[in-house]
Amino acid sequence: MRAADELPVTEDITRFYRPELARVIAKQRLSEMMVLLRLQLNSAETLDHGPGQFLQISLPGYGEAPISFCSSPTRTESFEICVAAVGNLSQAMHHLRPGDFVGVRGPYGHGFPVNDMRGRDILCIAGGIGLAPLRSLINYVADRRSEFGRMILVYGARKPGERLFKDDLAVWDARDDFETRYTVDEADADWTGRTGVVTIPLRDEVEIDPGRTTAAVVGPPVMYRFVAAELLEKGMVAEDILFSLERRFKCGMGKCGHCQLNDLYVCQDGPVFRYSQLLGRSEAIEVWAPEDERK
Amino acid sequence: MGRELVMTREGAQSFFGRLIEEGPVMGPRERISQPGFVMFDWLDSAGQLRLKYTTTTIPPKKAFFPPRQPLFEFESSQPPTITAVQEATAFTLVGVHPCDLAALEMLDDAYAQEPAEACWPAARARARVIGVDCLPDEYCFCFGFGTCYGREGADLFLTPIGRGYLVEVLTEAGGGMLRLSDVEDATDADREQAAAFRRAKSERMTASIDASPAEFADILEEDDFGELWREVASRCYSCGSCNTTCPTCFCFDIKDEFDLGLTGGRRIRSWDSCQLQEFALVAGGHNFRRIRWQRVRHRWHRKFLYLYRDFGRPYCTGCGRCSRACTADINIVDVSNEIIGRARGRA
Repeated sequence: MRAADELPVTEDITRFYRPELARVIAKQRLSEMMVLLRLQLNSAETLDHGPGQFLQISLPGYGEAPISFCSSPTRTESFEICVAAVGNLSQAMHHLRPGDFVGVRGPYGHGFPVNDMRGRDILCIAGGIGLAPLRSLINYVADRRSEFGRMILVYGARKPGERLFKDDLAVWDARDDFETRYTVDEADADWTGRTGVVTIPLRDEVEIDPGRTTAAVVGPPVMYRFVAAELLEKGMVAEDILFSLERRFKCGMGKCGHCQLNDLYVCQDGPVFRYSQLLGRSEAIEVWAPEDERK
Repeated sequence: MGRELVMTREGAQSFFGRLIEEGPVMGPRERISQPGFVMFDWLDSAGQLRLKYTTTTIPPKKAFFPPRQPLFEFESSQPPTITAVQEATAFTLVGVHPCDLAALEMLDDAYAQEPAEACWPAARARARVIGVDCLPDEYCFCFGFGTCYGREGADLFLTPIGRGYLVEVLTEAGGGMLRLSDVEDATDADREQAAAFRRAKSERMTASIDASPAEFADILEEDDFGELWREVASRCYSCGSCNTTCPTCFCFDIKDEFDLGLTGGRRIRSWDSCQLQEFALVAGGHNFRRIRWQRVRHRWHRKFLYLYRDFGRPYCTGCGRCSRACTADINIVDVSNEIIGRARGRA
């Protein structure tokens, strides 16, 4: 082979980075900050994701970001994501209309281990926008209800106006086979429900059989250790507590290095971890540092 | 070791001249605006090639993963159009030192880990590689890392001798290149001169890390060294020069770039640095390595512990580039030996 030869292009080498197109088929505002987008692949194929997995979503020119599925894979005709308007990309996504296209690649990562959870009581604990990824699991359990034991949902939002999926919350609340505990940190004039952080109803109003319960926890990093303490107090073991962690994945394939958590890659080894996997790893939930170093 | 031949100085000059006529060749050359500064770049003539150099600031991995690599072009219309960018030209990379050959192999392993990345091996498949042996400066510490005499991934390897180079033919492609060259059989005297060069290489090496890679990994795993990381971090500027110059760093960012017309552009994969504060930042402002010592510690842990456990060798070749480039004079050998010394002091 001569060095100046053009080599035959035998494989599509940028395939890992190149998204396929998905069409926005519905858009719904969930709160001031959040919209729900229902998407369908242009190829009409299904992504075949698992609850708790994520995808890389992009708008050409605005970049790419990881985002969790918030729909259950049991509903196969489309998939849903929940977008907070926080950066350039997500603000541009808030301006999308039905019929517009986005780029998607994935699904990536290890989601909730539903096969191991089958037959067990499921305790979902969501803080803030953590309800979005958990919704993929909750609706999975709802659609295959007989395969699971009790279904308990504890959900805390900062304010009533920031509560996501109000329709779903009402549906779940009305079901005889769901036990729900909803709270907000700060009530407003119209709020008649619980007030206080999510660990309060978890502590006072949730009784579980720790040996047959799996807890699935998604929320802001600060929430995890308080929730973990309550669950251990109730007699659960760390193996049965599942945490979904957030990192800013650039590749989703364990190469870009951005999601490294000590020796683990969150995009490959997670994003859903057993609490027992995270104990002893200093970069998992929040990085401890004395106050004088917090600058 | 493969077949050994000799290329005279004049023979080498005409060999590289023919190689450059035949197709693109990247190798060490002086920067035009800065004589004496040797860098890997495309060669226009054999006269530009500097096979005798200590090291380059930027390692030759850039031949396979440029600092900024377009992945695809897009038009941001609705629906958007996306067109892959695929480089397909074969080339030759010459003048690669043993430590940098080892680094390329480490990146082969890292990118091949499942799910395998495809851009890196595709770029590697386009290239033939000619290595050359070297003499160390005070920053080099490859001897203890087993990267001092490596030939991994080279098609030909040259060792300087009195009348030119002893040429090791390591692959069929390497043998094929030699049709462009007049070579002679090596004599015992040639082989002795090459052996003497290799002895001089190790004898002149002054820096070394005082523990085996296996012991160093255990030391980092067993103890915290919190004070030491804070001391090093108190000098560090978090500029990321250590990562940018590292031959084994492979982290990257992915960003979109609009053309000025704002109708289209390209998605770019670019080198990134775990020492920059925003590297481990996530939505909501949470940062898992916000404090400088956490990032400094991460660099040592990743190179000497995590990747050592994954791949069976440290992701450090002993090239010394990070120490040369450090704007705060933080030396990887000194810091590593301080860690080892403190660990042994505690034991």
